Amino acid sequence: MLSCIQSYGLNGISGFAVQVQVDIANGLPCYETVGLPDAAVRESRERVRSAIKNSGFAFPVCRITVNLAPADMRKEGSVYDLPIAIGLLEAAGQLSPKCADKMVFLGELGLDGSVRAIDGVLPMAIDAFSSGYETIVLPEGNAEEAAYITGAKILPARTLKQVVECLRNNGEFEPYPNKVWDTTEIIHSTDFSEIRGQQGAKRAAEIAVAGGHNLLLIGTPGSGKTMLARSIPSILPELTFKEALEITKIHSVVGATRESGGIIRERPFRSPHHGASAAALIGGGQQALPGEISLAHFGVLFLDEFPEFRKDVLEALRQPLEDGVVTITRASANATYPADFMLVAAMNPCPCGNYGSRISQCRCTPFQIQRYQSRISAPLLDRVDLHVEMTEVGYSDISSKAAGETSLKIRARVNSARQVQRVRYEDVGIFFNAQLPNRLIKTYCALDSASEAMLRQAFTALKLSARAYHRILKVARTIADLEGEEKISSAHIAEAIQYRSLDSNAIGGMHG
Amino acid sequence: MDNLSRKDQLWLWLNGVIGHHVLLFEQLLSTYNEVEEIYMLAQKRKISMFLRWGEAFAERICAAANETQIECQINWLKTNKASILPLYSSKYPELLKEINHPPSLLYVKGKLDASPKLPIAIIGMRKSTPYGEAIALHLGAELTKSGATIISGLARGIDSLAAKGALSVEAALFPTVAVLGCGIEIIYPSSNARLYYEIIERGAVVSEFLPGTRPYRENFPIRNRVISGLSRGVVIVEAASRSGTTITANHALDQNRDVFAVPGRITDESSAGPNLMIQQGEAKPIFCAADILCEYGLTAGPAKPSARPDLTGLTQAQRLVVEQLTSGEKSADELCENLSLPIAEVNSTLTSLQFSGIIKQLPGRVFGL
Repeated sequence: MLSCIQSYGLNGISGFAVQVQVDIANGLPCYETVGLPDAAVRESRERVRSAIKNSGFAFPVCRITVNLAPADMRKEGSVYDLPIAIGLLEAAGQLSPKCADKMVFLGELGLDGSVRAIDGVLPMAIDAFSSGYETIVLPEGNAEEAAYITGAKILPARTLKQVVECLRNNGEFEPYPNKVWDTTEIIHSTDFSEIRGQQGAKRAAEIAVAGGHNLLLIGTPGSGKTMLARSIPSILPELTFKEALEITKIHSVVGATRESGGIIRERPFRSPHHGASAAALIGGGQQALPGEISLAHFGVLFLDEFPEFRKDVLEALRQPLEDGVVTITRASANATYPADFMLVAAMNPCPCGNYGSRISQCRCTPFQIQRYQSRISAPLLDRVDLHVEMTEVGYSDISSKAAGETSLKIRARVNSARQVQRVRYEDVGIFFNAQLPNRLIKTYCALDSASEAMLRQAFTALKLSARAYHRILKVARTIADLEGEEKISSAHIAEAIQYRSLDSNAIGGMHG
Repeated sequence: MDNLSRKDQLWLWLNGVIGHHVLLFEQLLSTYNEVEEIYMLAQKRKISMFLRWGEAFAERICAAANETQIECQINWLKTNKASILPLYSSKYPELLKEINHPPSLLYVKGKLDASPKLPIAIIGMRKSTPYGEAIALHLGAELTKSGATIISGLARGIDSLAAKGALSVEAALFPTVAVLGCGIEIIYPSSNARLYYEIIERGAVVSEFLPGTRPYRENFPIRNRVISGLSRGVVIVEAASRSGTTITANHALDQNRDVFAVPGRITDESSAGPNLMIQQGEAKPIFCAADILCEYGLTAGPAKPSARPDLTGLTQAQRLVVEQLTSGEKSADELCENLSLPIAEVNSTLTSLQFSGIIKQLPGRVFGL
């Protein structure tokens, strides 16, 4: 007897259809799995055998062949345990033929017949549903994240026995309730109102978020760089359902959704340690898994101690920063992941950290300071529009200063500035000022004579580089958008010039 | 430099052969009277060396006693556009001749005045603070305006700023001299390359070290005695309590030069050196260039450091910011707080004030006048 069960595999963050074919023939008892299975798939034999036996069914003593079609694509993981078990039972005649047609099965089996949660359920379920399979049987532990697929009938499987009984019962079951995307306010762990003082840095963060710019924070230890960075997600616009689904897909692939249970509702904030390898940051490994930059998709990638990252790791950031996607190619796998993140980097001004501090003395030589700062290459710096120096906060500041504006208030301004940009760039196909290509800057960042003069003065007085020119214009554009003004004025340019610390030779005042 | 006399050539030769070794040079001269004689004897391999210096030196002198060696050194001078001043020369700085063991030979690039009107050394630490830098620049310019020549060591920080101040006086004929602790063609620190060439253009760079000598740390105390030796007075702007700068100050006292010190805050490590010298009565505290000039019977212009900036033509916000900064350096955030202005306005005001040169940005987004 032959049976065919539908299942799905994972390639990057999209699923592909896998048909599990089970054939039972007379002959010496044996069990063969074909169709490029990896070790985990091949081991499914033992799990399936025990699970069937321990669920009270009979394991057929025949010649069993399991094929995972298409046979030329690699199959990984334990997702095929459940479809193989169902296929076996059907082929053995313990289930009526064709009872599992038009259903998709995903799940790992335990020896006791329990169905265990797996990684990557959301992308597979989304693709199954969009190819016309309405009923999806998946582990109960993954039901929450799949429940957001409106219209899909989700059977949360607890045990193999439960699934079989449901199939014997003409496939009738109580589907898992679909969930609706609700936009109730998420409580962020940190709020801008908790940051005392630091008006300048907060303002820079607001501008960066409003215009989709990347941000570099420079400051002595304890000046609040990390706290500021952690608060940035709270002023980013609320996630839309589409964005949330995409984020969840990526996180589902690496299994990060299991604990959180279901869809990701908060913008990601990723802060990898500076020892991270290029593969950890960009993505990689045998199965070409997503890296930190993809996990930070639609969120914030925070790189603390920026110059301490390995140089090749930092340079690898350049291309995804530009494209918003990253393609990872490995011998056995090839995947493209979205990586549209906001880069927030933080660094000390010098190796000892105290350069420019008014409290502690810096012990570095000018040469050391220069070498430390030049660890970040110019092309990379080129992709960071705002550099802000943060001043240390004394005790009196922390204790005495009034709470600042709340994130909610700032976010309202950010939202309206982003709306202005969306409308303006409708025909160009970009969303933010930061994405403006150089050829369009002249069109969208036209200057009056006063601002032009101000910019020219900046070049001579501050010894700015040519690449700083475009950056200042883009940032000035965002400042104007935040104020709701159509034209860039000289005041906007003047403010934008303040966010260019690393463009001149070194951090302010070094060039005496 | 083309017409070096035979005596010059031989002095150049001997100095080059024995290396930077003032005491040996002096000893050789007192034994043999003339360099000419040393050269002749060396050719015949008849230089017997005093036990103290060892046979190796005698051997070296004898081996090098040929015309090729002399040619070689003269050619080096030519290609590097440098000249030399032997101790006996009438162009050798008068004041320097007075000190104990003056350099036997000076390498010079640029033009060196043998007896400038008022040579004043301005020295200080390399890791200067904005306060010290402003003072060094101011003193350098003001003293030069009254006809002084600024002597410094071309180090980072105070030395560089003092030289820059001197060079800023366009009318000065002979603004500054830099004394190096390495070979005269070596620019150290390399970041001072522009300053080095400017000094050669309008003043002089001198060194007693052989061409090609690296800036070894032991060279600098040796060099420091020349800085004080070339000057009539030494101004200490900023220095740690025990440092190269205080060594120079002690040389100055030994050489009977006047020592001046710019007082600073008693808590600042960078002012510990000058403050201590004032306390011990070794240095005269000075508040402006006139305090130095009056010692030499000269008068200065009316300028005083940190005079209030001109506020005319400024906007209301600019005026408020400048007033805040007159009481000390402040960060952008503090300005924002104290003035209760939105940060956007503070930022753009700061930019415009920076452009008009009224304020400057210091590390850590701190601003000062």
